[in-house]
Amino acid sequence: MRNNSLYLIIKRMRTPMYVLIVTFSISILGMVLIPGVDDQGRPYHLSFFDAFYFVSYMATTIGFGESPYQFTYPQKLWVGFTIYLTVIGWLYAIGSIITLVQDKVLAAQIALAQFQRKIRKMDEPFIIFVGYNSMTKAIIDRLTSEGIRSVIIEKNEEKIKLLALENYSIEVPALVGDIRDPNVFRTAGIHKHNCKAVVSLFNDDVMNLHVALSAKLMNRHVTVIVEATEEEYAQNLKTIGADIVENPFKIIAKRIYLSLKSPSLLMLEQWVYGDPLVLRRKDRLPKEGKYIVCGYGRMGTALEVGLKRAGIDYIFIEASPKKAAKAKRGEKVMVGDADDKKILLKADVQEAACIIAATKDDLLNLSIIMAAKRINPDIYTVARENRINDAVVFKAAKIDRVITIETLMVKKTYNTLARPLADRFIRLINYRGEEWGRRVVEQMKQNIGNNPDTFETVIDESHAFALVRHMRESGEEIPYDVLCRRRDDRSKRNPLLILYVKRGEEEILLPEPDLPIKIGDRILMAGERDSFEDVEYIMENINELCYVLTGEECTQSLVSRFLLGSNGKPE
Amino acid sequence: MNLEKVISGFFIILALTMNFGFFYGDPTVLEQHNRYELFIAIIVNLIATIYKLGDKTHLGAVLLATSLVADIQLIAAASVWALGEYVTGMNTETVTAIVSLSGGALLANIVSVVLFTGDVLKSKR
Repeated sequence: MRNNSLYLIIKRMRTPMYVLIVTFSISILGMVLIPGVDDQGRPYHLSFFDAFYFVSYMATTIGFGESPYQFTYPQKLWVGFTIYLTVIGWLYAIGSIITLVQDKVLAAQIALAQFQRKIRKMDEPFIIFVGYNSMTKAIIDRLTSEGIRSVIIEKNEEKIKLLALENYSIEVPALVGDIRDPNVFRTAGIHKHNCKAVVSLFNDDVMNLHVALSAKLMNRHVTVIVEATEEEYAQNLKTIGADIVENPFKIIAKRIYLSLKSPSLLMLEQWVYGDPLVLRRKDRLPKEGKYIVCGYGRMGTALEVGLKRAGIDYIFIEASPKKAAKAKRGEKVMVGDADDKKILLKADVQEAACIIAATKDDLLNLSIIMAAKRINPDIYTVARENRINDAVVFKAAKIDRVITIETLMVKKTYNTLARPLADRFIRLINYRGEEWGRRVVEQMKQNIGNNPDTFETVIDESHAFALVRHMRESGEEIPYDVLCRRRDDRSKRNPLLILYVKRGEEEILLPEPDLPIKIGDRILMAGERDSFEDVEYIMENINELCYVLTGEECTQSLVSRFLLGSNGKPE
Repeated sequence: MNLEKVISGFFIILALTMNFGFFYGDPTVLEQHNRYELFIAIIVNLIATIYKLGDKTHLGAVLLATSLVADIQLIAAASVWALGEYVTGMNTETVTAIVSLSGGALLANIVSVVLFTGDVLKSKR
């Protein structure tokens, strides 16, 4: 898309320029043609230069007086006429320029040109976010604090103005534009090789599909991360090649299942998403008794799968008969308003162990919980919170477990973007079962503590200079155990646990300490922040590596080997 | 028929004819070159230039360039005239300078007209 602002200015300036030229030429010609009288009383004609000079200062209202001689009455008559002609023409031209400067179209063009320049200059990897809302805002907040650059495309100009109030440490360029126009993606730099991902988290599945489709068509190397809450869209998205399709309801259903069946895995998953490694009251769902789920929409159907797998007795209440009719035969779905006391009694709320308010209306969810609690004060309550802004009310309602869809999506998307290994780790542990999970959790708690951090790194030249050099030169196999040693005393170990190693296509969960390191490995670790520093030192610094490997302070020969070349002789 | 084409064509060709009218005559004799004709040639050239402003096509850019050349040559001619009349005094050298400057502008005008005609012939309607 070419920049139009300059052409726009010039094109708009055409009429004022005509007016100026025509009025000036008429006035000049008149001044030349009308005879005057000089100081000796002889008749004369103004030359073109005299006339041009006079008209120039008259039209611009500078007014040096009559020159070269006092004007005669016929000349004064003409001047009187041309004053109005040229001054009006001049003011009109000035006015047009000022209007043009304030013009919205021009302002938009200039903003666009600035945006294009920013994108052109951007060398670092960046991520395009489609839509600026509370979710994408939260993700961008976290990404910018990690130094990852983002670009925003948003239809609503007002929201972009709000963005200017945010004080990001690195600039976040924003473009006003409708995503249905393919040029918008191009302007946002999707074709650039350093555009890493496109994120679209609209509530509207159709919109997400549209974004994914155009993004993939314009650059098939870009990672497309979209939200899809309905199965058919999820399928479509996968067909067109969207890399990551996120369904918040599936995650919720999975978590409900995990908290019923394997709490250790739940702990691990929540820990990767940023929670401490403990089970809180909100994670302890009643394992027996009947569950009442209000709402048989997208979340309800997802929960159905999770509850069924966990072998829980459940019943649904759905207000819309149309949605209720979609239920498979044998499923217990009651039609009625879930906050209606009679309906709740009919669903045996006084006997039930747990009620899940899963409608898309936050107020309705609250009133369901309140109604159920009044009948059965001991019931375990779970409520879905659709909008982050409603958090205060939900907190006041003292609900046992609040599921915030937006927060969940923020954490999930952030993980896929900034911590791909951790994201993969969560997916892998699901196949390992509760027994395995409990072992990992115990190991982490014993070695590290209740709230370990995670750290991802790669064994390559830029992250592990010393290690890679040493391995290439000596050909020696170094076990992963080396990374866990302490820099000040190699016989002691840092509180550190290597969770996951990705070696090409091969994926190793919890590698044995004697597993040899290979160049190109991607590693996910859990531990304390300080110990990650040690790991980085060992990987990058020749002296530190030498110490943890041999136990001796680095000898001259090893230093000179690194400094002077592999054979120890000066090059 | 496109009214804008008529008007721009009119100004482009009028710029050429006016300029030719001024240029035609003995280059050493100022009396054979009318000052009013030079004035009108300058005005018409300026208007023709503005008509080409803001045209994003390649042809528009070349037309604008030729027009600007003609403008600069003609304004230079007028400036030399004013300089000769008020500062240095008229002599044959000044007169030939004025006429040859306008001759250069004439060439630029011819290029303009050729390009314009070529564009018209190229279009299918």
